[in-house]
Amino acid sequence: MVNLVMKELKLGVSPFFYVLPFLTGALMLIPGWLYFLVTLYFCFITIPNMFAGYKTQNDLIFTSMMPVTKRDIVKARISVIVILELMHIVVAMLYGIISLRLYPNLIYYFFKPSWGFWGLSFIMLALFNLVFISMYYKTAYKYGAATVIAITVAMLFAGGAEWLGIQNSVVFDIFKGAESGNLALHLPILIIGIAIFALLTIIAYYIAIKRFQKVEL
Amino acid sequence: MLALDVRNISKNYAHFQLKDVSFQLEKGYIMGFIGANGAGKTTAIKTILNLIHLDSGEIYILGKELLKHEVELKQEIGSAFGDIDFYSRCKIKALTNVIKKFYRNWDDEAYYNYLKRFNLNENKKIAELSTGMKVKYRLAIALSHGAKLLILDEPTSGLDPVARDNLLNIFQELVQDGDVSILFSTHITSDLEKCADYITYIHNGQIVNSAEKEEFIDNYRLLNGKESQFPLIQHQLIAYKKNSFGFTGLIHTRDFDSSLQIKASVPSLEEIMIYFAKKEDLHG
Repeated sequence: MVNLVMKELKLGVSPFFYVLPFLTGALMLIPGWLYFLVTLYFCFITIPNMFAGYKTQNDLIFTSMMPVTKRDIVKARISVIVILELMHIVVAMLYGIISLRLYPNLIYYFFKPSWGFWGLSFIMLALFNLVFISMYYKTAYKYGAATVIAITVAMLFAGGAEWLGIQNSVVFDIFKGAESGNLALHLPILIIGIAIFALLTIIAYYIAIKRFQKVEL
Repeated sequence: MLALDVRNISKNYAHFQLKDVSFQLEKGYIMGFIGANGAGKTTAIKTILNLIHLDSGEIYILGKELLKHEVELKQEIGSAFGDIDFYSRCKIKALTNVIKKFYRNWDDEAYYNYLKRFNLNENKKIAELSTGMKVKYRLAIALSHGAKLLILDEPTSGLDPVARDNLLNIFQELVQDGDVSILFSTHITSDLEKCADYITYIHNGQIVNSAEKEEFIDNYRLLNGKESQFPLIQHQLIAYKKNSFGFTGLIHTRDFDSSLQIKASVPSLEEIMIYFAKKEDLHG
């Protein structure tokens, strides 16, 4: 299993994708921007490019000839996706802290990069993982439709959340208004977001294994 | 002991069927797996590596059932697909460093010996290797992790005659100690005449014959007769070609009546393949 993760990190993922979180994360410094986009760039850029690489390098046959189980192949791939997602979100959080210090008196039209906002970002990535991973493993090489639909679902969630933040005064208060600095409120939202991220990714893992067992190479 | 025991495997596709395929490879020998393009060689090989699911049948490798011991057996199998490249922009060194971690019996010393012997430079990228060198690289990997069974899909196709001969010599050296067995598919029959001990011939998803090489060839006779003799033997022939002087045809040795005074010779593997394909045209 560790060998497989190392194989993914060394062969499957171009070094560019380890640098990308630092570039996209810097977008957090744009005052009052639509910060959901920062983590969405992972879905827009890293996922399709990485999976195109797996396809052109015949990774599926290469890996299947190794002495490993299909279950471990899926587990390693999902671990790599999660590692990269965490990189994107943690780096963005750090830039977010800088952003809050840089512009203390900003009026936010979209969500402020509060702890609760990162909880929402985790939920957005959770939905992306559930759709993308489970769809991808129907064939284990076609990534196009899975990427498009998973991105659409993630964007609908982000759009819906931002819309609520504008329309609903309670949500406005929590994320942009008086309560936006209230850690007692924000930390539970972050924790719930992380829990949903873990749960949906694990569900995706089980669906993926079931589908991948049936894939013929 | 059998290195490979394929028992009655079948697989149905919409446009192709692998029908009741069985053959056995003794440990320490080379088996050539021949058949025309599309006959089912690669499909059969993929089932041996458990890359596709069987509809029925069983495969035993080194005495163990493949499905139950897949991961363990893959430690002992080395495989190469002649026409598929993996991570071709990677340097040999980088790729080997990843691959070797998967094998518990990896022997670095053996690996460097094979690199030297095959003239492989580990700082070269896979894409920079010639077709023959790529096969040698796969062999070096397989042998360094102590593979006992090599399953090679068309390792010689695309190689020039010198590189082919060189590779076939290596195959023969590898099986000399009786530890390693090789199954390799090819449509280049002269490869087998040079180095195979056993031949398995697949045609349209079915095994026509699987036997020791001399015995395999001895099963058939190539007849060269006059037009007037043709009606006497027409129904026993597997397939035939007619020309202005008479006919040539392939026949099972057991069906051939030597009292008919028809000129008979031992066919080459290529001739056997061609006549079997013709049979399809005649009856199919």
